[in-house]
Amino acid sequence: MTRELPVAILLVAGVTLIVLSALAILVMRNTLDRLHYLGPASLGTLLVAIAILVEESFSLIGDKALAVGVFAVLSGVVLNHVTARAVRVHELGGWGIQNDEQVEVEER
Amino acid sequence: MNEWLVAATVLIVALGPCLGLCFAGRPVDGLVALELSGVITTAALLVLAEGFHRQPFVDLAVVFVVLNFAGGLTFARMLERRL
Repeated sequence: MTRELPVAILLVAGVTLIVLSALAILVMRNTLDRLHYLGPASLGTLLVAIAILVEESFSLIGDKALAVGVFAVLSGVVLNHVTARAVRVHELGGWGIQNDEQVEVEER
Repeated sequence: MNEWLVAATVLIVALGPCLGLCFAGRPVDGLVALELSGVITTAALLVLAEGFHRQPFVDLAVVFVVLNFAGGLTFARMLERRL
């Protein structure tokens, strides 16, 4: 019974993060702005997984939920980078710094 | 209907904005929406497994999160080269 409150808090926090992320990708103006909201959504999945872990303790379902949550966060980082790279190549034709970009590079 | 199933319903409704962006946005926006919808679906599958008290349903989430990662990488590479 004492687990109900932390479970409810974790579940509500996780679902709220995910729903806000889903709404945010509609509001943002360009693709790279939208890409920022994959991270909070992955964190929301981890919170939901921790809620299940608190509810079920370290059982079969709890362990698998934790594994899924951790994998979602770790794979989200890689997906973020790969997608940002794809967007840049798609829009500029290459991954490197373009001639007209105002990027300061330190000379060595 | 317990709190887990309510959460699952909210998460499934949250797929709506992703679907809208897939239809209305450019291909790269659709890719972002696809990846976000994969994260949302993973959470929904976890919550449904807990809500229905059926442990084997968690395996769906385990498989889906891996497939979502592989699918996201594949679509990103395709988008980089061909579109």
